[in-house]
Amino acid sequence: MHRERGQRVRALMREQGLDVLVLLGNTNVAYATGAIWPLADSGRANFEQPVAVVVVDDEWPHLFSPVREDDRLHTELPSDHLHGPVYLDFDEGVELFASQLAGMVPASPVIAVDEWTNALRRERSLLFAPDAPVDGGRVISRAKATKTDDELSCMREGLRITERAAAEVQARLAPGVRQSDLTATFLRTIFDAGADANILDPIWQVMPPRIADGPWTTTGDLACPLLTTERKVAEGDVLWVDTGISYGGFHSDFGRTWIVGREPDARQRAQFERWREIMGAVLEVTRAGVTAAELTAAAISAAGGVKPWMPHFYLGHGLGIDSAEMPYVGSDIGEAFDATLVLAEGMVLVLEPIVWEDGAAGYRSEEVLHITEEGWMPMTDYPYDPF
Amino acid sequence: VVTITEVRPDGKTLRLARRARVLGEMEAAGIDVLVVGREGNARYVSGAPRLWTAGSRAFGPGCVLVRATGSVHLLSTWDEGIPDEIPHENLYGISFNAMNFVKALQRIEGAARARTVATDALTPSSAQLLPKAFPSAELIDGEPLLRRVRRVKTPEEVDAIRASVRVAERSLEEAEAALAPGVTERQLTGVFMEAMASHGVTTPATQDFAWITSRQHPWRRASRDVPVEPGDLVAFEAGVILGGYAGELGRTHSVDGDVAIDGALSQSWDELWDRLLAACRLGAPLTELLGAYEAVGVPPPPMPVARGLGLGFDLPLVTHALPRTAADQHVEVGMVLALTAYVWKEGVGAVYGQEPLVVTATGPEPLSSNPFRDARSSVT
Repeated sequence: MHRERGQRVRALMREQGLDVLVLLGNTNVAYATGAIWPLADSGRANFEQPVAVVVVDDEWPHLFSPVREDDRLHTELPSDHLHGPVYLDFDEGVELFASQLAGMVPASPVIAVDEWTNALRRERSLLFAPDAPVDGGRVISRAKATKTDDELSCMREGLRITERAAAEVQARLAPGVRQSDLTATFLRTIFDAGADANILDPIWQVMPPRIADGPWTTTGDLACPLLTTERKVAEGDVLWVDTGISYGGFHSDFGRTWIVGREPDARQRAQFERWREIMGAVLEVTRAGVTAAELTAAAISAAGGVKPWMPHFYLGHGLGIDSAEMPYVGSDIGEAFDATLVLAEGMVLVLEPIVWEDGAAGYRSEEVLHITEEGWMPMTDYPYDPF
Repeated sequence: VVTITEVRPDGKTLRLARRARVLGEMEAAGIDVLVVGREGNARYVSGAPRLWTAGSRAFGPGCVLVRATGSVHLLSTWDEGIPDEIPHENLYGISFNAMNFVKALQRIEGAARARTVATDALTPSSAQLLPKAFPSAELIDGEPLLRRVRRVKTPEEVDAIRASVRVAERSLEEAEAALAPGVTERQLTGVFMEAMASHGVTTPATQDFAWITSRQHPWRRASRDVPVEPGDLVAFEAGVILGGYAGELGRTHSVDGDVAIDGALSQSWDELWDRLLAACRLGAPLTELLGAYEAVGVPPPPMPVARGLGLGFDLPLVTHALPRTAADQHVEVGMVLALTAYVWKEGVGAVYGQEPLVVTATGPEPLSSNPFRDARSSVT
């Protein structure tokens, strides 16, 4: 898996005329090096930051890491490519890094970075010209867009762990249970089942019947996802569930609508049926070679001419080393972009249309699939209960 | 312990005191507009809780503070949890289109005229785009300003960190009870996280909770699925984020609770801890914390000797890898730090203890109710 990735990354570097890639973003580092570590809070991730250096003619990436899980890293990387931590938010740290880097890279290299700390900005001796450096993140964005069979199998396992935990939570769901209790069950189960980390503070949002009953929004549409608290859920609450974990360097995604302590009524069932029709219409056209615009058109047509998704999000998004990544389908990047975005075999897509009936809330679920030449394959089989 | 059943902004005293500090520093440094991407910085300036996700985030214009008006502009599609003083028109929504962020920034009063705009980081693409929103401005480094204001805590901040430490401690106690032969690091992490959420906090500071220390190597570790064996020294790092603030502490236990930690190792830890505490005197350069290890003949630990606790990343950061940085920082009243003593012995393993402390006029004070030294002597 990692050898193939390395080849992809270095081929793209050649194409873009890059000699060296310096990566700071946690998920970019994980992709480029195969290193897996339990991701921390974003504040802490700032200074406990593994850094990857990919040199175009070197089969192995370098990893500068505070992560002490040495045994596993040694199986992936030769020991002369494993280095101690660097601190690129400090001038002293950048100076030390630059001196180490000088011994690894060719003379007058073209270096790209994904993130640019202020301390890196000041380093002019080796790393960068006075202008903004070349964007190294694009290399990873392109390399990661399609998944290999090994990667798909790893992602399936991450999804399976997530759904096992979701099933535990769903079994516990009852009037009077706190949202934070649902999270407690979720977190315990994912680690017992082998997760590396939780990725998103799990969402168990109680949906208001009308948009106007919820928070004000910049779009005039729904507010979602809203934060979890110790609020107790009540009988009949409609919960929009959204969560994801990290396993083997990949993120998972899970989205369902649950009803607390009751079976759905006729109106709610009808919402679900409409959601299935929309999802069915989108899946009907989904395959390698079609554009994102064809998917949005199918969704809009099945929804009777309106966009069946939240305007601050999308009809669908890619999933992989990040919880949401390209391809974004129906986002505010715009319709012109959707018309040029072509689905390719090996992409993993999360489709998340919604049905909203103001006055009677609505239905939202997510479907995770991977794109094939002929169409698509589901990556999960979690039921839609209680619908 | 307060039960939180709705999303609220940080308390008014807390958030206004923080913002006033930032505005004062902007004034002193001649910064017209501050644009921050790091969540801790955005929370410091705005007082608004936002969605928690794990891992680092690339820079984006998450929050903007304008000196002339004192107004905060915030990336948020909704107003839940947004302080009253941030009106709806100052909110801009989630976007996947960088040009839409540029448009949102262009609409900010004062953007066009700003001469000096400071950021906490950049990406190559944001370095190209920000000049479109601030056409008259020079982009400068805003981190020195943010670090200056953030490293010394207001009394309300110390209270917030103490509350967070309390949740970490209570959750840690439940995980400690689960330590027994056969359990794995990953399972112990699950027990800790479950306990944390049961105490109403759903966001961890770290998810690397338990660590079977090696008997053969000063810091290496094996897979997270190796079962704990009798006699193992298992290190715990408990960290939670409550109200945005990190509460963290570290402990080590010998498996089979009645077996004392190796006497010589224990003594060495105590000696190191005394030196570290003595180095926390007001005005002392933080190199003295590094020197404490040398003084007792203990090799540098595999993690920083001290880290600031606050809204995530904070100063001081004290590590043997950055001696000059340590020399430039001094112990100040109001600093909150997680101080680490770490000793290792071949054939035995490591004893790791991390204590959250606040520096007061009379010296360092523990923020945990049961500091490691006391906790350990009661067990052994």
